[in-house]
Amino acid sequence: MDTQLILFNGFNGLIVGAFYVLMALGLSLILNLSGVINFAHGGFLAVGGYLAYTLTPYIGFWPSLLVAPTLTAILGVVIERTMVRRLYGRDPLYSLLLTFGLAFIFEDMTRAIWGAQGVPFAPPEYLSQPISLDLFFVTYYRLFMMAVVFIAVLALFMFLRYTRIGVRIRAGTLDLETVSALGVNVRALRTLNFAVGIFLAGLAGVLAGGNLSLEPTMGANVLMPSFVAIIVGGVGSLPGTLVGGLLIGVAAGLTSVWFPSASEAVIYVIMAVVLLVRPRGLMGEEGVMT
Amino acid sequence: MSTLVADGLHTYYGKSHILHGVSLEVAEGKITTLLGRNGAGKTTTLRSLVGLTPSREGKVTIFGRDTTRWPTFRVAALGVGYVPEGRKIFPNLTVDDNLKVPLQRPGPWTAARVYELFPRLAERKENRGRQLSGGEQEMLSIGRALLLNPKLLILDEPSQGLAPLIVREVFRVVARMRDEGISVLLVEQNVRMSLEISDQVYVLDDGKVVHSGSAAELAADEERVRAMAGASAEEWTLPE
Ligand SMILES: Nc1ncnc2c1ncn2[C@@H]1O[C@H](COP(=O)(O)OP(=O)(O)OP(=O)(O)O)[C@@H](O)[C@H]1O
Ligand SMILES: [Mg+2]
Repeated sequence: MDTQLILFNGFNGLIVGAFYVLMALGLSLILNLSGVINFAHGGFLAVGGYLAYTLTPYIGFWPSLLVAPTLTAILGVVIERTMVRRLYGRDPLYSLLLTFGLAFIFEDMTRAIWGAQGVPFAPPEYLSQPISLDLFFVTYYRLFMMAVVFIAVLALFMFLRYTRIGVRIRAGTLDLETVSALGVNVRALRTLNFAVGIFLAGLAGVLAGGNLSLEPTMGANVLMPSFVAIIVGGVGSLPGTLVGGLLIGVAAGLTSVWFPSASEAVIYVIMAVVLLVRPRGLMGEEGVMT
Repeated sequence: MSTLVADGLHTYYGKSHILHGVSLEVAEGKITTLLGRNGAGKTTTLRSLVGLTPSREGKVTIFGRDTTRWPTFRVAALGVGYVPEGRKIFPNLTVDDNLKVPLQRPGPWTAARVYELFPRLAERKENRGRQLSGGEQEMLSIGRALLLNPKLLILDEPSQGLAPLIVREVFRVVARMRDEGISVLLVEQNVRMSLEISDQVYVLDDGKVVHSGSAAELAADEERVRAMAGASAEEWTLPE
């Protein structure tokens, strides 16, 4: 077997896994603190990507990298405050239906504004170069992407670990009632937490846009694998989500070396096997972090 | 002046009507104790007072403000510390992190001072909540509430399930809080010891206040105290 082909697909898998991680961490945050399964998460990813596409000609690529996810997060705050919040504490089915509907609206809105055809979103020229001829698939952009994901994940974990607000989010994951009895404005906490999750989705959108191209359906495509990443890693455990996302990304990438047609199915096989062996996921049962 | 006034609270869990017009007052700088057998509605009363299970009828006034419809965090932020039944320590957080959760209102209580009050906790700073003994969890739960710098401290059965020596320690701390000027509302099943430190007593049964008066007066009535203290959960009645 050609090592280069294995490297190529393994590396692709790692990139894809990094997207799953960004998406799944945001989904996990929102699920853990608010009990909402955010089906609109993919929609936020697309919005982030398209906003960066629109902003870049005016403000440049680097500022867009932060501004687009921030605007996406603000949109998230508006939606949380006006709609999602009303369904907290009810049967999860309500918020699931709401976000499911929002996902369709997002997709159609992006289609209406930016067109049904994919639009190219090019990162700066110097980032698009491969680092060597042998490793033509390892462009500087892809390394840069990995670095951004790494920094974002590290920042998130530090935030949860060391800041007072992060500590409250971790506490609220298990017992929000007691957090509120200690004087913490849990409405604001949930809104902020929602915003952080949506920011990560927006960031994933910007990065994904530079890697492939922008499509209205791009969010829907990574949503399901992101849920799988959460389940494989163990619901409630953010480190588990991290491991789960990378694992299924790389597994799907490597599978495409031998059985290209099975590369999508393999993540569900992994999920089934993990659930059979460890019903609460790899790091479920009160993971390291939450 | 009353720190807290509850007037005619009717509280429900879904369709079941639990509190039937509970009224009580907590005097400033005093310990007011709520006694009653299992299932009498003591916890429900406290939950109604802090807004966790808002009453459907009635009025709650805390520090002169009508807090009846306030969300819990606003009530707490007003200066109401709550030590819940079962302590409700965050099991996944270290002792130190547990102390980072509460809103820090300005006042004398800081994490350093909590560690001074409970040296045991200082030794276990890096341990997770779930690794603590019942007594340590109770101390942490009280310390956590103190960080809010409360003017009113509400405790729900702090002595539950603790060894006698620790129980004594807990009661000593509660009495000390009163001496520092904090008004206290205490729910207890340990009748004798709570009467010892209390100023005012209410007895709750079946969601109604069936007795109220000074603690000294009730403590003097040995027959009643014995009946209340010795009663099992099943057969607990207030002798007239
Ligand atoms: N979440 C709930 N849903 C429905 N009923 C409840 C709920 N919590 C308590 N109850 C019922 O309300 C009544 C009062 O309960 P409460 O917990 O207030 O009693 P308590 O006096 O605190 O008892 P204990 O001494 O056992 O703590 C009981 O009959 C109990 O079964
Ligand atoms: Mg109780």
